[in-house]
Amino acid sequence: MSKVSVKSSASKRLTTMDLVNRNLAKRKRAERRFRFYGIGAILFGFACLLILFSDIIGKGHGAFFQTQIQLQVRFNAQQLQITDPTSKTQLDNANYDAVIENALLRDNGALLDAELPALEKRQLLSLVSTGAVYSLKTVLKNAPETLNQTVSIWLTADDDVDNYVKSIGRDGQGFSGRLSLQQQKWVERWVENGQVRQTFNTTFFTEGDSREPEQAGIRSALMGSLYMLLVTIGLSFPIGISAAVYLEEYAPRNRLTDFIEVNINNLAAVPSIIFGLLGLAIFIGFFDMPRSIPLVGGLVLTLMTLPTIIISSRAAIKAVPSSIRDAAFGLGASKMQVVLHHVVPLAMPGMLTGAIIGFAQALGETAPLLMIGMVAFIVDVPADLLDPSSALPVQIFLWADSPERAFIERTSAAIMVLLAFLITMNGLAVWLRHRLGRGQ
Amino acid sequence: MNSNSGYNRLFDPMAETGQPLDFAQHGLGQRTVGNPFSEKAKMSVRNLNVYYDDKQAIHDVSLDINRNEVMAMIGPSGCGKSTFLRCLNRMNDTIDNCKVEGEVTLDEKNIYHRKQDVVPLRARVGIVFQKPNPFPKSIYENVAYGPKIHGLVSRRAQLDEIVEDSLRKASLWDEVKDRLFSPGTDLSGGQQQRLCIARTIAVSPEVILMDEPCSALDPIATARIEELMAELSQNFTIAIVTHSMQQAARVSTRTAYFHMGRLIEVNDTRRVFTNPEHELTEAYITGRFG
Amino acid sequence: MERHISQRFDSDLEALKSQVLEMGGIVEQQIIDSVKAIESVNRPLAEHVLEVENDVDRREVLLDENCTMILACRQPAASDLRMVLSVTKMTRDLERMGDEAQKIAQMAIALSDDGAAPGGYEEIRHMGALVQKMVNSVLDAFARFDADKALDVARADTQVDREYKSAMREIVTYMMEDPRSIGRVMNILWALRSIERIGDHARNIAEHIIYLVKGYDVRHTSVHEIEKRLNKS
Repeated sequence: MSKVSVKSSASKRLTTMDLVNRNLAKRKRAERRFRFYGIGAILFGFACLLILFSDIIGKGHGAFFQTQIQLQVRFNAQQLQITDPTSKTQLDNANYDAVIENALLRDNGALLDAELPALEKRQLLSLVSTGAVYSLKTVLKNAPETLNQTVSIWLTADDDVDNYVKSIGRDGQGFSGRLSLQQQKWVERWVENGQVRQTFNTTFFTEGDSREPEQAGIRSALMGSLYMLLVTIGLSFPIGISAAVYLEEYAPRNRLTDFIEVNINNLAAVPSIIFGLLGLAIFIGFFDMPRSIPLVGGLVLTLMTLPTIIISSRAAIKAVPSSIRDAAFGLGASKMQVVLHHVVPLAMPGMLTGAIIGFAQALGETAPLLMIGMVAFIVDVPADLLDPSSALPVQIFLWADSPERAFIERTSAAIMVLLAFLITMNGLAVWLRHRLGRGQ
Repeated sequence: MNSNSGYNRLFDPMAETGQPLDFAQHGLGQRTVGNPFSEKAKMSVRNLNVYYDDKQAIHDVSLDINRNEVMAMIGPSGCGKSTFLRCLNRMNDTIDNCKVEGEVTLDEKNIYHRKQDVVPLRARVGIVFQKPNPFPKSIYENVAYGPKIHGLVSRRAQLDEIVEDSLRKASLWDEVKDRLFSPGTDLSGGQQQRLCIARTIAVSPEVILMDEPCSALDPIATARIEELMAELSQNFTIAIVTHSMQQAARVSTRTAYFHMGRLIEVNDTRRVFTNPEHELTEAYITGRFG
Repeated sequence: MERHISQRFDSDLEALKSQVLEMGGIVEQQIIDSVKAIESVNRPLAEHVLEVENDVDRREVLLDENCTMILACRQPAASDLRMVLSVTKMTRDLERMGDEAQKIAQMAIALSDDGAAPGGYEEIRHMGALVQKMVNSVLDAFARFDADKALDVARADTQVDREYKSAMREIVTYMMEDPRSIGRVMNILWALRSIERIGDHARNIAEHIIYLVKGYDVRHTSVHEIEKRLNKS
């Protein structure tokens, strides 16, 4: 049959089907190409994400582990210059450095007798973190009976030692070169003796910022971000939704409301640093609030997220079918009943999505916080909204600037924490939307 | 009167050539023909004018709707029949630029009176829309919503009773009694529309307005709703806007024909569909527009 | 404005109308022929009338089918509905007219077999002419949808009824004068009666036309009342 048609089409005019068939292969190729463009775009995005993640995780995972050195510490009362280990004042003022020095010297038995040159002595002392004194203090406080006794204690190593130890496992890759050959020898001896271990870096999560990388943590920044987020959620969600409901359902359509709408749209596009300036001028300048506190930060971020929330909430309210409104009005519901019983519940998933996008944006915002002084070096973990604090993105920004090798690790680790925070929030949003959507 | 004027012009294409009927010359602006008025009216409309901004949608319409009758309103698209229907329970209030003049009375009280609250009015004059629009809630919640917001019931048992009664009246009970708490939006189109009717009658209104209630439904669902209308007309006064002339012919007792915002003719349905008085009505119901 | 949006509906109705007029034309010719056959004792002509009757019956069935089709598919309303309903009734009347013409033709055949009747031919010619004019007028009224002309036909029927009564008296005297001719005179009488029946059917058609054009059902009312109704509107 096909033979006949080919013959006839060759002799006579081409039929429609012939024309269609002629183009068919070309059309199919174009179709396939089009699909590949899409797949290519997705693969490209995915690859970028993968590179970013592997880079951050590759750099940052080390920060979650901290090198410790085991030393035989003798709590010599004389060296500590204390008499009563239960006295808080005495414990606070004790000379732990001398004990550590003694322990280090004794550890290298050979060194004990020989008179070390001042330089080498200093190098030896610098192998242990300056924060080690706090560990000693804690041990002594918890067990006063160890005074004048020798105890085996794991002390946090200095960040350069940490860096060197981690580089040994990688054949010297990533070594900063900040340990002298002598110091390297000492460390290697410890490694051989099994006096070096890697433990989970709890300091990173429990402490505030520090000049010493091994003592630096994100607790202060995390709490600061959390407080700011609470302020932002607590203010911008109700304000944003109320404004959106009023503008959509109650406000008359006139020049004023048009003007307001244009302005809200413009505000959403305003660079965030402008909001920082605004916060600086109003909250700190005019209302005289202290700098660097989460309350001001939260207020500024509220200003910043409000337009986003209002716009997305209005869109969500607009998307509620007017037939539902008509149905409720037709039954004799009042305006408020229509809004509260039908419009807002139906728009809630959409409003939540917009709000959470806004909050995520706020969480990652740095620029406005710089303007209100949250870039300060904060060691203490804030206890409430009025304590000076840092924020996660600001902390990342600060650490990224620091020269120490160990801070590079910590920067990446902090980014990972921030990402985890964001993913948790988005997960929450998805869960909430699912829950609210199911109820209807 | 020349005997062959009306019929010939309408029927015989050869009788007169070309000239389309000029509406202004053919009865627009004159008073409505037929019998728009009645002694025992449930709702009366007098000299109703409706404007959307500057555009006048309804021109001086006067009409009585009788107790327990089914009044059908027909007419070409944009003739103002839906606007007119929505004036009867002030649904036009929700439209910002809509202005209503004239008088609409329900049991001899003007519903456009300054002191008339729309909430009780809409409890007395319910409306069913073109597209089935159940709330995205359970079937039970849909029907119970009206009684709840109007505070018609104090006990749960009473509410259950109203819900069952309304669903029965809407002949939906047997189909949904086993799944009262599943979403109303899961029902089929015809069932959804009957749910909307049940929801409307749950607040026991006196008048039910229906705005093209079957235009989104298949013929079987339509037939069910038409059957339902016949039953409901024993207890309620019904005003229905429809695009289907056959439907108007089947369900209504009187028919009103609207044209370009004017009420052209009101007559008994039997009269309108066999021998309409006005030539515009004739032209519309025989399909001679365009 | 005058045309339907559906032009096929227009052509359906047009076809219906012309089919009725065609059928009416045939029946009219049947009546003319049968009356002629009886007065000129023309047997072949009478036989021709009998042959045509089949065609008329076939057309009646066809028209009914078309009307059913329009009712089912178009669901006509108002004037269209009245048109279709009137046509179904008119075809029935036309077919009956054809039957009556057939009867006249049979009488013509009987008379040509038995020999001429002593009288009554004059009455037949006279009434035949009247009725034939009625049929012609009523078809004309239908073609033009002319209610006034239809009313004229209804009026004419009363005249035919009067003529029929006087013709009866006339013919009864023939029978009394010559009892032997009763059989032949009876044939004339039957023919006269058929002519009168044709007049009645013409009047029915006229009433259908008035219903079609004006929308009033004027059956079983006197011409006087019909006039009043028509003048009122």
